[in-house]
Amino acid sequence: MRTLYLALKYLAVLLWSAFVIFPFLWMISTSFKTANAVTGGAKWLPWLQFEPSLSGWQSLFGGVGGINILKPYANSAIVTLSGSAIALVLGTLAAYGLSRFTFKAGPLKNGDITFFFISQRIMPPIVLAIPFFLMLRFLGLLDTLPGLILIYVAMLMPIAVWVMVDFFNSVPRGLDEMAWMDGCTPVTTFLRVILPNALPGLVVAAMFCLIFGWNDFFFAFTMTFTEVQLLPVSIVALNSSVTPWWSLSAAAIVSVAPLAVLAFVVERFLSRGGLAGAVR
Amino acid sequence: MLELSNLTLAEGRVAHLDDVTVSFRKGRLTTLLGRTGAGKTTLMRAIAGLAEPDRGRIALDGKDWSRLAPWQRPVAMVTQQFINYPHLSVLDNVAFPLVRRKVPQDKAHEAARDMLGRVGLGTMIDRRPSQLSGGQQQRVAIARALVKKAPVVLLDEPFVNLDYKLREGLREELVDLLKAERETIVIYASTDPREALQMGDDVILMAEGRAIQSGEPQNVYARPGTTRAAEVVSDPPINLIGMEVSGGQLRLDRLADLPAHALGRDLPAGRYTLGLRAHSIRQGGDLSARVSLTEVSGSETVTHLQAAGQSLVMLERTVTNHALGTIITLSLDLGDALVFDAQGRLVEKELVHG
Amino acid sequence: MYRQKYIFLLPGLLVLVAIILFPLLFTIRVSFSSWDVYNPGLNWIGGENYARLWEDARYWEALTRLSVLTVGTVLLQYTLGFALALLVWRDIIARRFFRVLFLVPMMTTPVVMSVIWRTIFHESLGPLNPILDAIGIGAQPWLSQAGHAFAAVMIVEVWQWTPFMFLLLLAGLLSLPNEPFLAARIDGAGPIRTFLSVTFPMMGAISVGAILIRLIEASKLMETVYVLTSGGPGTSTETTSYYIYIRGMRDFQIGYSASLSLTYLIVMSVALTLIAKALIRLMVKDRT
Repeated sequence: MRTLYLALKYLAVLLWSAFVIFPFLWMISTSFKTANAVTGGAKWLPWLQFEPSLSGWQSLFGGVGGINILKPYANSAIVTLSGSAIALVLGTLAAYGLSRFTFKAGPLKNGDITFFFISQRIMPPIVLAIPFFLMLRFLGLLDTLPGLILIYVAMLMPIAVWVMVDFFNSVPRGLDEMAWMDGCTPVTTFLRVILPNALPGLVVAAMFCLIFGWNDFFFAFTMTFTEVQLLPVSIVALNSSVTPWWSLSAAAIVSVAPLAVLAFVVERFLSRGGLAGAVR
Repeated sequence: MLELSNLTLAEGRVAHLDDVTVSFRKGRLTTLLGRTGAGKTTLMRAIAGLAEPDRGRIALDGKDWSRLAPWQRPVAMVTQQFINYPHLSVLDNVAFPLVRRKVPQDKAHEAARDMLGRVGLGTMIDRRPSQLSGGQQQRVAIARALVKKAPVVLLDEPFVNLDYKLREGLREELVDLLKAERETIVIYASTDPREALQMGDDVILMAEGRAIQSGEPQNVYARPGTTRAAEVVSDPPINLIGMEVSGGQLRLDRLADLPAHALGRDLPAGRYTLGLRAHSIRQGGDLSARVSLTEVSGSETVTHLQAAGQSLVMLERTVTNHALGTIITLSLDLGDALVFDAQGRLVEKELVHG
Repeated sequence: MYRQKYIFLLPGLLVLVAIILFPLLFTIRVSFSSWDVYNPGLNWIGGENYARLWEDARYWEALTRLSVLTVGTVLLQYTLGFALALLVWRDIIARRFFRVLFLVPMMTTPVVMSVIWRTIFHESLGPLNPILDAIGIGAQPWLSQAGHAFAAVMIVEVWQWTPFMFLLLLAGLLSLPNEPFLAARIDGAGPIRTFLSVTFPMMGAISVGAILIRLIEASKLMETVYVLTSGGPGTSTETTSYYIYIRGMRDFQIGYSASLSLTYLIVMSVALTLIAKALIRLMVKDRT
């Protein structure tokens, strides 16, 4: 009975692991193929089933049938990092204010303002696409990096506020009050006392910002045309009728790899119980 | 002198502070004595600027504090929770208030090191607060409060979350430390009457958000102005017994009839409340009562009793174990009994004793 | 006294109001105009767009399809995510390895992985059909038939986002106190009874939170569909967002798509609020 239970348990874990790994293995294998290896039906094992080639990888740097991936890669990094950084700064400040002080604007109180921030995540991107489009056109920022960064700030700030309000609420107010007694104004309290102790919250918030920023396709796609191309857009552009699967797979690997590493960071926080507060 | 006048603070219908007018003197330790929820913490938070009173005035040496933010008030505070800066070493924790006040780094560290030596943490200055025990953490907090030489020091039940033994020791150390501060106003909140009476140069009794009596501890203890004050200042609880005086007779409700001279003074006929401290009830006599609870603490025994529907508390200076439910006999010593009138106000003895 | 508090709140609030609230209000105005590629500009045509969308069968079909897809995938994700979280919660070999592995898909870019999935689902060149053939199920017309395409979208969504459910639920499991489990052990409860009477009730609030977050995110679905099927075959996998995208960003019927997206937003908000209330009543025992 107990053995059967254990066997089923490990079978389930291994089956799901296979499902998770399946696309990754396929993509890695495909990235070393050539046209011959792709058109002859599905093959998995290099050397045994097909002769591996580096042409898919070479095409990432302007080889035949590929794209130059460096520019989109840099663009994606710039937009994601600056968007996340600005969203994190603004979001952390707002979250601290909302967690520590009372605000009132007519009938609106702290809870409503917090909800306004977080509720932006409910908004489907398509609803905002048209006004964003018109606004960027009005500002002359369509198809530019600053324009995209602006959109990413709006898209990521709610995440930062959500995580950080929760985090600051778990930091005892007594700490702030002690700092005040010791002569700190609210701003110096925040900078000298709260911020140095906020690293766990900041890491979680930054991680979510990076994930959602780097993985965005919709705004990168609708707000740019020719001048600026982000990584996901350039990969999807390869997804045409004459798809070079090997270039596609190689590009997918380099695009997905940096964030997949973040799974280790997330797991560390998970095991230490650092994420529990973010759920409630 | 720190003067609070007509301080009122309510939240919804609950009055945390109700028209409090009191003053604190320099170079003295004043204890705020009252039960949990009596308004002690709120009063301290109002002084520190952390709670905003609806009405009233706080002034130090005549200078109004109403418009000062917490960080502008010359106040130091130690709370029940052990709060220190987790990211700073013990030394930097204590130096922090000085550094924030623009004292040069080396001077601040010197003063902090000196203060840490005085609270017995001289060897632990490089640790983080989280590496210290609860008692040590609270010593750091005390050092941080005292190092800046604030004219007003607020201590809000600083030892309540420590175990009994540690509490006694730290309290004595603190009293010694504070002796050096001759110009400082020290306010110490406590729920424990004995602590308040031992430590304080002055005591203020608080109940339901009001300051009900203030003065020197012995005086307040001996002559609590009301039944409420008598309850607050007595530990173990004082026995309050309804009493009828008429025609040369004292009738203690449900307990006993006594001759009028038993109190050693004459009272006009009427309703009174007799306040009888626990040590004035003795075993052996003609009253009988059933034991409902016995607590031994140190070398003393506190026994809760039921006598004809009246609860009584008896204190004995010995370790005695009364079995639950047994009937024992009692006598009442009315020698230092307090008498309150029908409104609960103390009826003073004629001042024969001076 | 606390005037500095505005230094914290205002920068973020103003940026958000400027970037989101004003454009949203502008959208409301645009939805009452016939702004399109031929006549760009704000004229006033009253509720014409809304009358048109009322008659627009393709829109309502897309909305129904989206609801089925959203509820279906989220329930699957919740069941699978919970099961996985329970599997790697306690005693299992290489626990941390499996935890990391199970988290990886949510870190990957959905469109990029969808491109890869498209090659996997390829009927003659992809690796999936040979495997199905080998185990006796037979090759399937994955992306060329309506039902199959729908299933393909669901498979990709489950692969991509079950990890998110897994993450939140595992975080919840790891934060549970130990005492109730000890008590259940002492009472001699087996694993199934322990789950039903201890674990599941205590996970109520976290479950509701996780399901709601996923419902919100899933109801925006469009990128996977765009890459995998382009809404096809026909319009059989078209979601609301994708249909609005076609009308707005491709046909450039700005006015009409503004009315579509506002209706979409209202329908989604109302539906999600009702679902949230129902879930909280159903699954959260102690409402604190």
